[in-house]
Amino acid sequence: MAKAKSITGLKRQAPTAVNARIIASTRLDELYSWEAYVDDPYKIDELHNLRIAAKRLRYTLEIFADVLPEACEPLRQEVEQIQEELGAMHDSDVLIALLRLCLGSHDSGSGYTYLLARATRLRAKGNYVVNPELMAHLLDPGVTPSAEQRQGLELLLRDLQKRREEQYRAFRQHWHQLHYRDFRKELLAVLHS
Amino acid sequence: MLEQTEYSSSAEHLSSTASVRAAIDIGSNTVHLVIARCLPDDLEILADELELVRIGESVNATGAISSEKRDLTISTLQKYQELVAHYTTEPVLVVATEAIRQASNGEEFLAAILAATGLVVHIIGGDVEATLTFYGATYELQHSGPPPAMIGVMDLGGGSMELVTAYHLQITWSTSVPIGSGRLHDRYLPSNPPTREEFAAAQAYLKSYLRELSIPDEPAALIVVGGSANTLLFLARYSLGVSQTETRLTYEDVAHCEGLLRALPADEVAERYAIAPQRARILPAGALIIRMLMERLHLQEIHVSTHGIREGVLLARERYGESWLAQLRGEVSAPVQQSETEAAARKEAAAETFAASGRRLLLARTRSMLEWREEVLKHEDIEAVHKMRVASRRLRAALDAYESLCEPKQFKKVYRRVKELADVLGKARDTDVMIENLQRQMEHIPSEEHAGMQWFIDRLSAYRQQHQRTLETYLSDRELNGDALLQQIKACLPEKGD
Repeated sequence: MAKAKSITGLKRQAPTAVNARIIASTRLDELYSWEAYVDDPYKIDELHNLRIAAKRLRYTLEIFADVLPEACEPLRQEVEQIQEELGAMHDSDVLIALLRLCLGSHDSGSGYTYLLARATRLRAKGNYVVNPELMAHLLDPGVTPSAEQRQGLELLLRDLQKRREEQYRAFRQHWHQLHYRDFRKELLAVLHS
Repeated sequence: MLEQTEYSSSAEHLSSTASVRAAIDIGSNTVHLVIARCLPDDLEILADELELVRIGESVNATGAISSEKRDLTISTLQKYQELVAHYTTEPVLVVATEAIRQASNGEEFLAAILAATGLVVHIIGGDVEATLTFYGATYELQHSGPPPAMIGVMDLGGGSMELVTAYHLQITWSTSVPIGSGRLHDRYLPSNPPTREEFAAAQAYLKSYLRELSIPDEPAALIVVGGSANTLLFLARYSLGVSQTETRLTYEDVAHCEGLLRALPADEVAERYAIAPQRARILPAGALIIRMLMERLHLQEIHVSTHGIREGVLLARERYGESWLAQLRGEVSAPVQQSETEAAARKEAAAETFAASGRRLLLARTRSMLEWREEVLKHEDIEAVHKMRVASRRLRAALDAYESLCEPKQFKKVYRRVKELADVLGKARDTDVMIENLQRQMEHIPSEEHAGMQWFIDRLSAYRQQHQRTLETYLSDRELNGDALLQQIKACLPEKGD
């Protein structure tokens, strides 16, 4: 997960309303710094970072709602929806990765195998996509699934992959709708109105 | 199949100089036309037609609008255009709501409509939808004496529910939530009639969702619009002996109708009470949503109105002219009714220095987070973990915002502690969500998938139990006990003659 961008130019004695606009603008920039990855469904880490950036922007707009223009509210709701769409995708990514682990995936080269490799590498930094304790728990050799259970898991995996594709399509469409109406400019205009 | 809706023309004879206009609402369940003689605050309804297309059915199943639903919508619109031509040459105003907002091929769908009919369809967001519904549902109130000061309007559609509250007819709050009769039917009540277990799951879901809905002022009266409410009223008249002129439904009426719908298959309901079969299929879901909302708002009765978005569109067009939609979008983004107390509080907040607001906000956010500690330790309701985790994220966002003002050493210590807590809570919450989602799916999967799914759920549940002990150990740490964390937060951002 990318660290929150440091905010510069804040003055201790300035009205909160002034600094809140600076912070929200910075968080908005942070969100759009991940925009380049929107069209790639398998940039899982980057889309996760986009989700975190959306969450930071949403919470900033919530924290300072009292001192920001009320017209921010519907825009905050859009950000929340984007965050939720990305959240649903992330939940699917994690489940898919866990299932592949349980099944000992033989499919090489897929986006999910890549995710697993990344998850293992990132573990040392504490920035894992899949919870390593849960991974260890599921891979306990004493409780491996039976043949019948494996078949069920395979079918579940297939369903999840399909759902993940649908979730990605819904997110991407929403993002492009926001792009079409120039959401970034719209929020900036409201912040500085 | 066309559903004929009853309508009452409150404006007996509006001036013949009033414009005659037509509006169409393409919703998740229906495509609905109204033609009326229009004034800014009144309508004389001339025609009202409704077709149950159920676009939401294909969107719920595949995420997209099927070619069959697209063609049915287009043929319905063409039929409506012929009818409109008998009344007016004014352009038809067309809006589309939830199902089209959600559909992955919504744009192609609108392009196909434009090519086949020349109609421009405006997709409206939940806020605009709620406002238009409010206009449509309340314009007749002027004819029947003063309404209660605080009223609510609920529009129960196929894919979403809009809820608006108003004080002396000025909107004070509105929301749009993804709960609709079609959506609830497709996801929770697929059997015909729905089983007891399906109802229990749907009820639990609704109860939890509605409990979380933060409604600032509970309305004393609720007007309900939409096909489900109107069909329930129809059913109550024919099955319970409710008067043909009555437009109110009591809680008991709704509960009795729901009982009937739980007992009979949809085709029998359709045949016995002359209800469109597709409506009969989703009506149990509609009845359940309405009853659960009545419980949530502590209401003994509801008022059912035949009017809604379409009438709202016509009124908005008369009030705001050709730019009605743009103005409405601006209007819903603008401040709604604000009390003097709220206005004074905003003014005070705007003048507060950044350092002062930081001390106030950080302490408030910390308290909000710690409030959930006992509930999480009880381990009775998985929502407690969720609430505490969300509170920890809000605290982190506040810490991020005020970092540059904080004492670096103290800040680092507090930030690390809050992050660790969020991580521990996150592992619990993520596992809870996985288990919950899988359990929900379990009801709808073929039997050959059960063994695998159950194995996975069991493994996740075992991990969750194990992790609860880690969580308990973490939360029992003395630094999260009592005032320790609050003192650390205070030390982060000390007063420096602010």
